[in-house]
Amino acid sequence: MKLKNHGLSNLLIKRPIIAITLIVLILQCGFIFGQSADDILSKVDLNLSSNNRVFESTMNIIGRRGSRFIKSKTYAEGYKKSFTEYLYPPGDKGTKMLKLEDHLWIYSPSTDRTIQISGHLLRQSLMGSDLSYEEMMEDRKLTEMYKVNIEKKEEIFGRRCYVLYLEAKVEDVAYFTQRMWVDVERFVPLKQELYSKSGKLLKWMKSEKIQKTGERWFPMKVIYKDVMKEGDGTEFEITDIKFNQYITPSIFSKASLKK
Amino acid sequence: MIALKLAIRNLTGAKLRTFLNAAVLSFAFVVLVFYMGLLDGWNRQSKLDMEAWEIGEGQLWSKSYDPFDPYSLQDAHSIILTSYNSEIDRGNITPILLVQGSIYRQGTLINIIISGIEPKQRLLKIPSRVLKSESKEVPAIIGSRFAKVNGIKKGDYVQIRWRDKNGTFDALDVEICNIFKTNVSTVDNNRIWIPIKRLQEMSGLLKEATILVTSNPNIDMPPTDWIFRDKKYLEKEIDNIIFAKKRGSIVVTILLLSIGLLAIFDTQVLSIFRRQKEIGTYIALGMTRMEVVKLFTLEGSIHSIFALILATIYGLPLLAIIASTGIPMPSAVDEMGVSIGEKIFPYYEIGVLIVSVLIMVLAATTVSYFPSRRIGRLNPIDALKGKIK
Amino acid sequence: MIRFLIKGLLKDRSRSLIPLIVTSFGVMITVVLHSWLTGIMSESLELNANITTGHMKVMTKAYSEVMDLSPLNLSIIGADSLVKGLKKSYAGTDWVKRIRFGGLVDVPDEKGETKAQGPVVGWSLDLLTKGTKEIERFNLKKSLISGSLPKKTDEGLLTDVFAKRYNIGIGDTFLLFSNTFEGSMSFTNFTVAGTIRFGSEAIDRGALIIDIKAAEKSFNMEDSAPEILGFLEHQYDDEKVNLISEDFNSLYRNNDDEFRPYMIRMRDQNDMGSIIDYSQAIGTLMVAIFVGAMSVVLWNAGLLGGLRRYSEFGIRLAMGEEKIAIYKSLIYEAILIGLIGSITGTISGLGISYYLQEKGIDISNLMPNSSILMPQIARANITIAALYIGFIPGLVSTVLGAVISGIGIFKRKTSMLFKELEV
Repeated sequence: MKLKNHGLSNLLIKRPIIAITLIVLILQCGFIFGQSADDILSKVDLNLSSNNRVFESTMNIIGRRGSRFIKSKTYAEGYKKSFTEYLYPPGDKGTKMLKLEDHLWIYSPSTDRTIQISGHLLRQSLMGSDLSYEEMMEDRKLTEMYKVNIEKKEEIFGRRCYVLYLEAKVEDVAYFTQRMWVDVERFVPLKQELYSKSGKLLKWMKSEKIQKTGERWFPMKVIYKDVMKEGDGTEFEITDIKFNQYITPSIFSKASLKK
Repeated sequence: MIALKLAIRNLTGAKLRTFLNAAVLSFAFVVLVFYMGLLDGWNRQSKLDMEAWEIGEGQLWSKSYDPFDPYSLQDAHSIILTSYNSEIDRGNITPILLVQGSIYRQGTLINIIISGIEPKQRLLKIPSRVLKSESKEVPAIIGSRFAKVNGIKKGDYVQIRWRDKNGTFDALDVEICNIFKTNVSTVDNNRIWIPIKRLQEMSGLLKEATILVTSNPNIDMPPTDWIFRDKKYLEKEIDNIIFAKKRGSIVVTILLLSIGLLAIFDTQVLSIFRRQKEIGTYIALGMTRMEVVKLFTLEGSIHSIFALILATIYGLPLLAIIASTGIPMPSAVDEMGVSIGEKIFPYYEIGVLIVSVLIMVLAATTVSYFPSRRIGRLNPIDALKGKIK
Repeated sequence: MIRFLIKGLLKDRSRSLIPLIVTSFGVMITVVLHSWLTGIMSESLELNANITTGHMKVMTKAYSEVMDLSPLNLSIIGADSLVKGLKKSYAGTDWVKRIRFGGLVDVPDEKGETKAQGPVVGWSLDLLTKGTKEIERFNLKKSLISGSLPKKTDEGLLTDVFAKRYNIGIGDTFLLFSNTFEGSMSFTNFTVAGTIRFGSEAIDRGALIIDIKAAEKSFNMEDSAPEILGFLEHQYDDEKVNLISEDFNSLYRNNDDEFRPYMIRMRDQNDMGSIIDYSQAIGTLMVAIFVGAMSVVLWNAGLLGGLRRYSEFGIRLAMGEEKIAIYKSLIYEAILIGLIGSITGTISGLGISYYLQEKGIDISNLMPNSSILMPQIARANITIAALYIGFIPGLVSTVLGAVISGIGIFKRKTSMLFKELEV
């Protein structure tokens, strides 16, 4: 009994080299896994989140009858305010969306009307994509929503990655757990799997075109796929992004929709 | 009284003719009663099925529940009052929790309502007993129409998705352990039934329900959060449909009766023509013309009484047999969602029967009266001589 | 001989008139009842056809597999020329594009922002083409609670319940927020032309009817349609529909495109097949029972016709006419009466049925809650069977009655005749 309880000290006496190697290894693991799991996620947040950003993006929705291409420009501040203007296709051009807190307003130039979308409607698919309005607008810091563990290191898409396991620490998150492959050097998630509370895989995301913009690495292209939905998912690509720009506060007002 | 005796004697005297007329009239009458019974039976069954499968003797609705607005389900749940617990245990109240969810059919999202029901309940015909599984898997039952549309078979695992009270996505494979057949489309279409306890845990809505089905129409009204919907309210729509369906039978009723009446009319005309001497004699013996008219009218209308007796003799057992065996039907639902049972059991309402009898006697009297009126215009001497006009 | 008999029948009204009236009337009732039953039996079918299924329906093969979800993105492209082709190929049929949609109706305040909004189900129909039958199919005129039918593409009909709930009136503008064919957002302004009532609570909650042209524009669906509904000239006819659908689908037999046009019959949709079979069976049963009853009456009438001429035959026998000759003449007469009665009865029955088919009986007053989902006008439906369904029993029963009652002639004893004939 005694021997078992003091296995390591016993080992230290009998086989010092092995024991020391073991200790070093354990310490190392602790450094990689325990100490930096939150750090990794914070670094991911640093790369992905920002106080404000202005970007132009395209969305490619791959459906049964060919794909659709949508172009838009977005101004965002924190995760509570965003303003998007659609630029292409001609049918959607001039359509604007304003999100403040839990509310979404959409302006249509052809009818010169602003309508408000709230509640359950935010859960509907955005323009037939694999994203809901809600998800489109969601930009909370991961560290605010999830506690994190490192599962292992793994190489995907030719890059070394930490595999993180995220579990919600607040109640109002869409996905209770996530598995995230974070580039070891750049701290950008290359792949994400989104799970239900009971552990079913619901969606996955893949990041491509990781680029350095200023101080941060940023995935310029993300592919979203609902695992149950037909089609090949939705490609979301950022063609131009600027962080920490000055955005006139008036842009986040309903008046700016009609401009 | 004399007129009645005479009339009956005259009729029984003319055996074959009277029998034929009465037979035709009784046949028309039996068909008519059967037709009405079929309609009533059908309607009644739709209502009974609805009560047995869905509404019980009334329902308590969580305040914001609106069956026509699936999005209202997000908020439509209230705590089940503890004072109801004993009633629930006794099986007099069945709580049902409804949560909006979805399944995928070949990559296409289909909105469904995940319905939690107590496995022990006996109040509704939904075969919830099979949900009493002890295993970790969540057992589920679905209606046959839903199964057919989505190509689901017994023993299949179906992934259902929903969001809990905080909006967090959740998904689970449920095992379809039974597929039930029902005529009530609302418990079938886009519904997956699972044990209520499981659904309460899954959605985070512990001890809550959307609907409380009750077997007691005079249930104690809870103070808040719940609204009582009585049977009249819940059956309003089906009642309207039934009323509208009945109108089509009016024309058929008229046409059916008219064949029987045609026979009487024919006989009456013949009688008056053939029995002129007799009429003359009656008048010569001191009967007024009106009395003779009355006698002939009575004879005509007594046909309907004979027809009734005849109808009772062969019609009653016949209709009774049909009413007990039922008439097989294809299973289907029409545009309005009114279900057609596998079998329709005709239902004969006493009120409808009495009205039908009255209508028949009255109509027989009317058609007998019109030809008889001619007697009033007869010259008794000519009549006595048998001279034909 | 025949001329003699006709003369007799014409001159002696008691011999001819009453039996003729009875036969004719009986045949007439049979014809009317048959047409009426056929009509009302198919009325719920027609209701389904008018609103949802058509007598037949053309869609893409891909759409047909998920029809219950009505996915706009699997629509037929090039629908206009297809409609034209269908109308040309199958004379007498009508083909219409329909788009069913869901969406949000958004009512603005003075600033053009959302004041209230609610979900609707919508139908877009051809409301504006001259001679369109869609208004009648949806029974829109009778269902109007206020206002009028749309006269322009930017006008729509809202259900009365919805309009009242969101406080929107005739002439007010609202926005329809929905999805286009491809899944993009669609916004269209409409003006309320009128409000309607369907009579089904689920639909009355929120429904919108707009012109098909408006829907095509809103949903970016010009020249395309999810469904093209086909209607026969009159009521549903299984055989005709089978012929048309087989013919149409054979055109695409060797086409593997998942978006090729594909025609389905009414009976292939929503379990309608069993309803069709059922209503045909019950219709046949009812008519069989009725024809049986009618035959008894006519046979009875034939019998009475023989009986009433008891004394006449007595005199003729007394005058030395052969029994068999009298019997023959009685039967000839019966044939004549049966023929004339059945012909006139069938003609008048067809006349009444035709009126009931074309005009129908307006039963909306009989219903407390008129609704477009209930047929407002009950109609008869004349089929080929109407030509013989009354005629044959009319003729056969009359003759049969005479044959049986005439047997009495042979039982008469000449010695008794004068006693019987004493005045």
